[in-house]
Amino acid sequence: MSTSVLARPRTARQKETRRLVLIYAGITPFVLVAVFPIYWMAITAFKQDPDLYRMDNIPFWFNLAPTLQHFKTLFYQTNYGAWISNTMTISVWVALITLLTAVPAGYALARLRLPGAENAGIGIFMSYLVPPIILFLPLSRVVALLGLQDSWWALVLVYPTFTIPFCTWLMMGFFKTVPMEMEEAARVDGCGFFGAFVRVVLPVSVPGVLTSVIFAFTLSMQDFLYGLAFVAPGDQKPVPVGVPTELIRGDVYYWGSLMGAALLVGLPVAILYNFFLDRFIQGITGGVGK
Amino acid sequence: MTLFAPDRDPLQVTRRQFVRTTSIGLAGSSLATMLAARRAPAQIKGSNLRILTWSHFIPAYDAWFDKFAGEWGEKNGVKVRVDHIPHLEIPARMAAEFAAGAGHDILFNGSTILTRIYYKTLADLTDIYDQIGKKHGGWIAAARSPVEVEGRIYGIPVYYILLPMLWRKDLFEEAGVKPPDTWEAARVAARTLKAKGHPTGIQLSHCNDANLNWRSLLFSFGGTETDPSGEHPTIDTKEMREALRFGKALFDEGMTPEVFSWDDASDNRYLASGIASWIHDAISAYRTTESTNPNVFKNTYVGLEPAGPGGKRVSVSAPNAFMVWKFSKNQAAAKEFLVHLMDNDKQGMIESTGYNMPFLNDTAKKPMPVIGSDAKLQVLQDFPKIVAFFGYPGPYTTQIQEVANLFVLPDMFTRVARGQGIDETIKWGLGEYQRIFAKHKKA
Amino acid sequence: MTSTFQAGDPETGVRVAVPLGALPRSGAWFRSQSARRLGFGYALLAPAALYVTLLVAVPFLFSLYLAVSDATVGEQMAGFIGLENFKAALEMDSFWIALRNSVVFFVVAAVLKSLLGTSLAFLLLQEFRGKKLVRALVVIPFTLPVAISVLGWKWMYDSQFSVVNWVLSRLGLIGAYGTDAWPVWLGDPRLALVACILVNVWRTFPFSAIVLLAGFTSVPNEVLDAAKVDGCSFLQRFHNIVVPMIFPILMVGFLFDTVFTLSDLSVVYILTQGGPGNATQILPVLAYQIGIQAGNLGRGAAIALFLVPLLAPAIFVFLRNLKRREY
Repeated sequence: MSTSVLARPRTARQKETRRLVLIYAGITPFVLVAVFPIYWMAITAFKQDPDLYRMDNIPFWFNLAPTLQHFKTLFYQTNYGAWISNTMTISVWVALITLLTAVPAGYALARLRLPGAENAGIGIFMSYLVPPIILFLPLSRVVALLGLQDSWWALVLVYPTFTIPFCTWLMMGFFKTVPMEMEEAARVDGCGFFGAFVRVVLPVSVPGVLTSVIFAFTLSMQDFLYGLAFVAPGDQKPVPVGVPTELIRGDVYYWGSLMGAALLVGLPVAILYNFFLDRFIQGITGGVGK
Repeated sequence: MTLFAPDRDPLQVTRRQFVRTTSIGLAGSSLATMLAARRAPAQIKGSNLRILTWSHFIPAYDAWFDKFAGEWGEKNGVKVRVDHIPHLEIPARMAAEFAAGAGHDILFNGSTILTRIYYKTLADLTDIYDQIGKKHGGWIAAARSPVEVEGRIYGIPVYYILLPMLWRKDLFEEAGVKPPDTWEAARVAARTLKAKGHPTGIQLSHCNDANLNWRSLLFSFGGTETDPSGEHPTIDTKEMREALRFGKALFDEGMTPEVFSWDDASDNRYLASGIASWIHDAISAYRTTESTNPNVFKNTYVGLEPAGPGGKRVSVSAPNAFMVWKFSKNQAAAKEFLVHLMDNDKQGMIESTGYNMPFLNDTAKKPMPVIGSDAKLQVLQDFPKIVAFFGYPGPYTTQIQEVANLFVLPDMFTRVARGQGIDETIKWGLGEYQRIFAKHKKA
Repeated sequence: MTSTFQAGDPETGVRVAVPLGALPRSGAWFRSQSARRLGFGYALLAPAALYVTLLVAVPFLFSLYLAVSDATVGEQMAGFIGLENFKAALEMDSFWIALRNSVVFFVVAAVLKSLLGTSLAFLLLQEFRGKKLVRALVVIPFTLPVAISVLGWKWMYDSQFSVVNWVLSRLGLIGAYGTDAWPVWLGDPRLALVACILVNVWRTFPFSAIVLLAGFTSVPNEVLDAAKVDGCSFLQRFHNIVVPMIFPILMVGFLFDTVFTLSDLSVVYILTQGGPGNATQILPVLAYQIGIQAGNLGRGAAIALFLVPLLAPAIFVFLRNLKRREY
């Protein structure tokens, strides 16, 4: 996409400068809007409490010496370490379950010309529509029946209810872009349906699979209600539940620790995201040959 | 479903907890044996007790409570586990446990009291309620309202949280205004001090403090929410009109529109920043200024609930109670523990640094622990006589709980403050109350 | 690609764009194997279908039952009362306010997100130094746990210590603290809804941008260049070539966001609980307050279910449409 629509040619160099100025001018507000709240959270995490409640001070910098107190609170007075490891383990399991179910389903719906495939696909997506506030009570009975109450395994069980529908559709879109003749060639070579799927289609579908994994990770970290309803013990909670439930005490907000806790999990995920962003983009579009 | 089979018995303590509990147990056991006042019946030995409570405003109280429960368990051979969640999230958790038919044995209700919704699935605690009362000089008058259904008791009220007047004596004296002993004096002070950059504020928004504070004002003005039976809303009264009119004046003269956005914590910050002339809030607001703004801490005083025009004082507080699920297999242990907890009511009050107000007359006798010996807080000892809960003078019913959850009463004050007519507001409020009351009757 | 459904998509202009779609297929070979294919296909589909049926469809039916019963949280095996709960909901003015706010919230947020997302995606298509860094920074809002990042916003919207106001005030755009020209973000009925919408937009526009970026990169340059040679303007190219080609991606992204936005209660619940008055009341929050907090399960379920009939037909139509427009 070298064809910029923004510039009007004079000399090549002028054109290039003009283009860059326009781009940077355009991109700066976006970066500011996206990043400022993050910066604000970060600085809050290192401020002493009295520094927060002063109106006459410049809020962007430290008016009192920065402190690590809020992180100490986080690690020594709460189960933050356990929450992080719970969140990570839950996400890994959810991603795994999602892959094992959504990838085959997406393939079946996209490629195998099953009668009723279209409606089945729509049905699966529709299930994504049912909001958690409706589902959490019936689900709590299921969780109890399986004896998973108050263990983070309960969340491993229920989070796929929202990752599977989405990832199935994602994978459906992806598989539709894989050239059909690749599989056919494989089958002619005696691979069989399963062989063709595993040996030929899956390897070229890595970007789609990665995208699904990233989604499963991100979605697992957005839930609050299920975590709250199913997991009460302090050392079993995931981060998004543990942090607000233990760092807001009645009418006292532990702002520094709250913000620090959010960033300590959010930033690594953001970095991870960026590693895979190109693949991720491929995954959404269906990437073979592009 | 082997994939999801729990890798351990969910009731078994994790190693980490075990280490924690036992170390607490070892440290405490010698003391515990010395103090061993009661011996629990043998049948609770070997059972598990799971307690759900809130994250107390005072973290040290939570630490004490966990230790206290652990020591009791150690002594009685009961495996105890305590989980803490924020009080606002308890209803969701309770609904989930009910639907599951499993969960904790003892659960906590605070700010949202759901006794009447769940009483059919709650254990009848009338026996220990009476037993505890008899042993400790009886319960204060307001104690029954949140836990009684049709003459039976389904919860043990443990303490309530007061919202007294917190006022800046230095500012008041400087401006030469009277202490806020009546609502009228509070209004005059707010008007005078707002001009000097020190307004007041009471939440005109959707939060629990709004529910509590405006009710205190309404009831002190002689207004009521229901009749004593709790069956009929009493919204369209002369007193209600007066209270609404006063609320508007208080807002116009003494507050800024900030109060429309406030949550439970905003008035704390208002005080901590040194702006507020007075707030009507829990003493945590005052206590936390000790570290955040020592000057404010030094000059803030605690006052009795302001009197209404007729001299009446009603302080609406947030009650907190423990219930026991009927489906709990460890009811005996749960009851034993609750009795033990109430036997140590005074200790609890001390550990909460005077924050927990006692439901038991013996503890409420002057001088009360902590607050009795603190010059500024002594006045809190006069609250047990005037404390009331939602629904006053009727009981704390399901209908009233829904009215509170939908913030109908604060919304009435909000409407008037925003300029809606009193009649129109009362009509709206009455409509909401009647709709909610009718619905529950049908159910 | 039309592999799943009947071939012969007439939109050849689009077809050229993805040469893969034009490949011949050996149908006869397939048919001979159809029994095995079906067996294999359903086996692959089964785990997902089973999961969704057991953990969504069945509980959902249970909720439907709740909505036509007088269940409370303490008594779930209650009597059938027909459409009483729905009727009662329609009689509440807070329900109508919540419905209106939900729609306004969703529409305004969707418009803002598409505008911002499209502009950002176009910018990220350009080559410039620091692009990777920019991309890395703008996706952060999407990766933070929503429950916690909203708390950060609550602090930024604080009536006293709002950093947003601090900046605006120093820039002279608003008045000083304590004057009428100092906006109280969560206290003014109109601003409060705007404030909630902004948080949603802040959180999700990076996602829109990434989805759109993915869409744009999937459009082959040759097609665009060819159209340009033919004298199509930028908007014509965008409308006639880019949009139809990325339509399926757009739809999945759009649906995903629609559901997320409409059923998410955390933003409003944490910022305002629906206040002041009912200015920011939305359906999920109202359902939560009545159904869970006040314990009136049946009525809460009825209110929450209003989301489903609102969404379902639209989504059904969208998804059916996808079939015809696919590549």
